[in-house]
Amino acid sequence: MNLLHATGIGASYLIAVINTLWPDAGFGGPKATFYESAALLTAFIVLGRYLEALTKGRTWEAIRKLMSLQARTARIIRDGNEMEVLLEEVRTGDLVMVRPGENIPVDGKVSKGYSAVDESMITGESIPIEKRAGDDVIGGTINKTGAFTFEATKVGKDTTLAQIIKLVEDAHGSKAPIQKIADVVAGHFILGVHLLSLLVFGLWFFTGYTRWFTPDSTFLLSTTTIGSIGVFGFSMLLSLTVLVISCPCAVGLAAPSAIMAGSGKGAENGILFKGVEAMEVTSRLKAVVFDKTGTLTRGEPSVTDVIPVGAVSGDDLLRFAAGAEKDSEHHLGEAIVKGAEQKGLAVGAADSFNAIPGHGIEAVFGGKKILLGNRRLMKQQNIVFDAYVEMVADLERSGKTVMFMGIDGQPGGLIAVADTLKESSVAAVRHLREMGIKVAMITGDNRRTAEAMAKQAGIDHVLAEVLPEDKANEVTRLQNEGIKVAMVGDGINDAPALAKADVGIAIGSGTDVAKETGDIILIKGDLRDVVSAIEISRATMIKVRQNLFWAFGYNSPGIPIAAGLLYPLTGWIVSPQLAALFMALSSISVTVNTLMLKGFVPSLKREQFKLEEGAV
Amino acid sequence: MSSITERRLAVVSALWYTGLSTALALGFYLAAGGGRYDMVARFGGVIWVFILAMIITMPVIIPLVKKKYQ
Repeated sequence: MNLLHATGIGASYLIAVINTLWPDAGFGGPKATFYESAALLTAFIVLGRYLEALTKGRTWEAIRKLMSLQARTARIIRDGNEMEVLLEEVRTGDLVMVRPGENIPVDGKVSKGYSAVDESMITGESIPIEKRAGDDVIGGTINKTGAFTFEATKVGKDTTLAQIIKLVEDAHGSKAPIQKIADVVAGHFILGVHLLSLLVFGLWFFTGYTRWFTPDSTFLLSTTTIGSIGVFGFSMLLSLTVLVISCPCAVGLAAPSAIMAGSGKGAENGILFKGVEAMEVTSRLKAVVFDKTGTLTRGEPSVTDVIPVGAVSGDDLLRFAAGAEKDSEHHLGEAIVKGAEQKGLAVGAADSFNAIPGHGIEAVFGGKKILLGNRRLMKQQNIVFDAYVEMVADLERSGKTVMFMGIDGQPGGLIAVADTLKESSVAAVRHLREMGIKVAMITGDNRRTAEAMAKQAGIDHVLAEVLPEDKANEVTRLQNEGIKVAMVGDGINDAPALAKADVGIAIGSGTDVAKETGDIILIKGDLRDVVSAIEISRATMIKVRQNLFWAFGYNSPGIPIAAGLLYPLTGWIVSPQLAALFMALSSISVTVNTLMLKGFVPSLKREQFKLEEGAV
Repeated sequence: MSSITERRLAVVSALWYTGLSTALALGFYLAAGGGRYDMVARFGGVIWVFILAMIITMPVIIPLVKKKYQ
């Protein structure tokens, strides 16, 4: 691009100097001292560059806003003393005090006090969230009403805010495939333009000038006549104008500016795109697969039924199960432990514990060998529950997950656990289906429970009884239908599927592995953000295409006119400064078009605003 | 790749694109001969053709030479 500018400005200036010093040199003489061409060319190029800088500056606003959330200092209690330290000096484990109206400096867990915290800048959630002992707080959010103390758990580059800033920066730094194509096209375009310029020069020099030139020709949109310009001056003028009008300056701005604005818009709504490619593929998604537990559901199941079938009582059954599951990190295991504690049962520790992925657990508790898991585990261990098939089916049809328990190789009982759907799940699924996107649910749960849960969510495509290692294969199976598939999940067992999917969408409250693997992170864990992510991606990619059209669109039709194609018929010549104005206009179009993305609001957010306005 | 090879590639490429551009400019000079054009037009044209030819051939020749020698 600079090459085109240099050739254009340099040649204009050189002709003007020659005409001043040697008026009879054949370049048009004193009437053709186009100093203003060189000056206006420079002015328009500078204007174009200014607009580029302006657009880039505006689109970096998202990062600037995020950075401004960062507190400079923190008030901590160290060795029993309260002190104010620089943010960089806060260490993990420090007790941090926060007063009303203050920014929370780092991530942590509330240890004392109660307050409401405005997390809108990080999660997009407009209502302040109540915080009390045991709740997590995010650095960069604002404490509203009360005062509290929290223990710092993540500091420096590990905080949520630092990671968001890094992700947005990385997204800005990466190049979308469409941008790469645009760069290649622009490279060939520039080469082609120089070749065309050479051809235009040759044609006008050897044939065009003598056939069609008239000294009273005027510049387009100007009253200035060319005068007695010589063959070389005239041919070079047209050759030069072709160079200037063709300059695709705005191409360099077209895709990056829209993508920066799009990723900023995502961050504003609590959606982090890890790269531009993620955004581009998200705009073309045709199927979304949701993990069930912790993604579609709250991931906080509770024990609903304890049915002893052997010699042990219900309470003992729950106590044994809780003891066996005490070391488990599985949602269902945690639910059983919690259920036992709520019943006031003493939960002891197991003598040994072994998790069997996709099946359940085996443990030794109180001298008894406990097996707790799905029917696959029971079948494997030859523990027969045939007499309870109907009872199990009834529980499963009502959306409960039934866990089978074997004690010392004999059926011990059934424990049913139920999870509830997130409020956002139904709305998200409905919107996705309205957008023409296929929605599926994947789970290790049995088919009946999975179907009951899917029905509540409005999903008709259920992939049940899928082992963790097979989740990725199910995603591949969908991809084999020739469609772009997104996987939404939160757990370690979802990581292979998140990686395999065209776009992995990780829930912010999920495991670090899932967040590391995902291409998009939803900070709030609100599934409506899946819809918003797709809408933002689509809006961004539309802007990219529109910008590329504007970047090339102004130049391409102008080239034949600048090359003098209409001159024999109309006598029109495009002056270099008019060519430069067209060039700047393409930058203006791209800038204005990109800035329009700032006003984009995802449909679900618009609905939310309307509801809030209605409530007021 | 060693710096000597890089240098050699640069020299070979430069010889090619400068040679081609010179040949094109020379072709223009000859075509504009026969007394049809004055010296300013003839020499001005030669310089302009040479500059444009260099700009066009440089990015085309360099990768071709690299491809041939690597």
